[in-house]
Amino acid sequence: MTKQIDGYHGTLLKVDLSSGKVRKQAIHPDDLKNYIGGRGLGVKLLWDHLKNKPGTDPLGPDNPLMFMAGPFSGFPAPSSSRTCVVTKSPLTSPEKSAYPHASTVSYANMGGFFGPEMRFAGYDGIVVTGQAKSPVYLYINNDTVEIRSAGKFWGMGTDRFDKAFTEELGDPRFRTCYIGQAGENGVKYACIINTAARAAGRGGTGCVMGSKNLKAIAVKGTGQPKVANHKLFLEALEEAREKFKDPKVYGRWRTAGTAAGIEYLSGQGIQAVKNFREGTFVDADKIGAKASMKHWVKSLACYCCPLACKKSGKTTDSPFAGLIHDGPEYETGTMLGANLMISDLKGILKAIYISDDYGLDMISLGNVIGFLMEAYDKKLIDKDFLDGIDLKWGSVEATIEMIHRIAAREGVGYLASMGVKALADEIGQGSHQFAMHVKGHELAAHNCHANPPRALCYATAHRGACHLNGTTIEQQNMIALADSIGVCLFALGGYGHDFAMVIKLLSAIIGSAAVGNPMETGERIYNLEKMFNYQEGFTRVDDVIPERFFQEPLTVGEKKGAVLTREQFKTMMDEFYTKRGWDLDTSKPGNAKLKTLGLVA
Amino acid sequence: MNSNQETDAWSRRKFMKAVVSSSALAVMGQFGIFRLAMASQADKTGLTMIVVDYAKCTGCRTCETACSAANHKQTVNGETLNGLGNPETANIRVYPYNPDVDVPNVCAMCPDNPCIEACPVDPDPKTGFKALFRHPETRAVTNDPNRCITCGSCADACRTGTIIPNDDTGLPEHMCTLCNGDPQCVKHCPFGALTHVSVDLDRDFYAMKPDQIAGKLIQKWYGKSH
Repeated sequence: MTKQIDGYHGTLLKVDLSSGKVRKQAIHPDDLKNYIGGRGLGVKLLWDHLKNKPGTDPLGPDNPLMFMAGPFSGFPAPSSSRTCVVTKSPLTSPEKSAYPHASTVSYANMGGFFGPEMRFAGYDGIVVTGQAKSPVYLYINNDTVEIRSAGKFWGMGTDRFDKAFTEELGDPRFRTCYIGQAGENGVKYACIINTAARAAGRGGTGCVMGSKNLKAIAVKGTGQPKVANHKLFLEALEEAREKFKDPKVYGRWRTAGTAAGIEYLSGQGIQAVKNFREGTFVDADKIGAKASMKHWVKSLACYCCPLACKKSGKTTDSPFAGLIHDGPEYETGTMLGANLMISDLKGILKAIYISDDYGLDMISLGNVIGFLMEAYDKKLIDKDFLDGIDLKWGSVEATIEMIHRIAAREGVGYLASMGVKALADEIGQGSHQFAMHVKGHELAAHNCHANPPRALCYATAHRGACHLNGTTIEQQNMIALADSIGVCLFALGGYGHDFAMVIKLLSAIIGSAAVGNPMETGERIYNLEKMFNYQEGFTRVDDVIPERFFQEPLTVGEKKGAVLTREQFKTMMDEFYTKRGWDLDTSKPGNAKLKTLGLVA
Repeated sequence: MNSNQETDAWSRRKFMKAVVSSSALAVMGQFGIFRLAMASQADKTGLTMIVVDYAKCTGCRTCETACSAANHKQTVNGETLNGLGNPETANIRVYPYNPDVDVPNVCAMCPDNPCIEACPVDPDPKTGFKALFRHPETRAVTNDPNRCITCGSCADACRTGTIIPNDDTGLPEHMCTLCNGDPQCVKHCPFGALTHVSVDLDRDFYAMKPDQIAGKLIQKWYGKSH
């Protein structure tokens, strides 16, 4: 084995819930060089687990669920909290495949404190395989690792569990992540929650965790890896911290968080409104940041983050009054607000709270409910189909009732728990036109009619529709790199979008030899994800966006009349595959490109 | 702010005198009989401390990393440098709560020194210091590891729960050093939530445990039901 790389423990914690065996495993230094950590290393490990095993059941024991920290994690670099949960998606599927359980890679990135603490405990990642016979949680205190019974916690919502779990652990400095009832019950878009509101939200990570009977992970640690160049690290750290003292860098995050986007993007005509039928919500001002601020108590930051975009608070004087753990954020406020034509902010905040408590990904959830509202409005389904719920546009009561049914997977909630693609398959009658997903993964809260680069971003994202995929090849590679380092994308405004400062810090931590060519690393990660999907049977026919964007021009707002053309989309995609070095017909990654990246011999 | 010039250390005898001579011992509120003693000594001793504005604190823990880096230096290639900011060794520690409240916990610099009072080690005949003592220059509660018997009495006596004995050595840890008058937590807090001020017993939340502070803030910010 080549020399161990600084900045890492070089250690994975491997937990097999079927046998109850726990062990440490060394990470090959070449894997760290080639994939850095976080999303990249997670995808490499997924590939190692499932290469030549296409169609592995994502909810079976062989699908690994991995919690991956990057090399920034556990060092005080600004906004270095991000932790990537990597697994095979239980939600996505190709048009056609030879394999029954074909699905994409899934990676969901969460902030908070979990990743840094995992590194303090001595691990660059946790890999969970197998399935426990009864509900368990994983207890990690440095070298002490135990699989403990979680029987008494099963069935608990995340908010109550967060408190009960801390009490059980007896030390609030344990960092935890967990699932709610949605993950326990097998909702395909269940997420993993930490600190009662932060989420590894997308792609059904919580569903996989639930399939393993794993309620939670608690971690606490005392150590830290050493860095390659201590002095350079301290210099680069001070330089980075200076950059974040500029109000232009942190101002908008602290003031309004991502909720600022609710009004702004609505004004631009690119918000998800009425199940993506429109791009502008006339009541955006009623649910946006300005309206929300009245209810906020304080801003909350992730580990060493000077931005503090998360907001907590409470609402009063409403049937929906209650606690606000987070929000609205842009995505949650839009998907459970504008996309459902709901303008009752307190109702939206209640729906957000309930969704977090169940551990539901609100992006997929808002799509599912929006889709059902549209199908109901168009009389493709009736009230009986909806178990008597009068699911009209704009109804908070009906929305909340649907959320309860989905989390419990009862009645209509069972079908709705499978996502919009499954719903459209069942309902038929042309409803696929407005089933807003790519590869079975629902669209985030950004509309495409007037935003062609976003169409490419959604169509080519490897976990299915994802707004964080990047709209150009360069951006996609850079984001794959950032997700692997563990730095928050929101912080690039401080570090600089040219990545120079990020690379300087990374070089100080892991050494410039290990950093190598960072953009090529990003490209390597992106291509390996593509290889995974291609093996499962995903081809160019799966890289499409919903028909709505080509057929139904916007009727209101700044971008009234905007619609995508097929020619425009095809040209964009042709250029993408060509530049990527992938086959134009099948999207198969070309051998020449894979060779350059060291992905084939 | 620098308090190094003030070197009038506070002795046990003076403390007892203050307590005994007081006629209003029973009605002194939060700290009972210690209240008067503390109040009468705070100004005289010129003690300073780190105070937290909880409304501004976002729980990011940058303070922990800055404290740890400055107070746990490392020798690298013969050069003494700041550490890498491992929060485990920080003297300021942020406790998170649900609903969302973050409480950075740091030495309250109690003028009546309950931790030092509790130290059962006899004063050194030369220096007059017990194993735990207020450093004459830095004014920080300081441990002499060579004389400490690791009994944990100081941690038990600590009002704020700041002092925690090391798991391995049993030595008391996490006493604020004030970084030679230039506290690094204050300097690096991105949110301006920390300030270096004179000890004032009347300040809200003074010398309270994190759980108590969190309880009050949760009630104030989120209502009674949580």
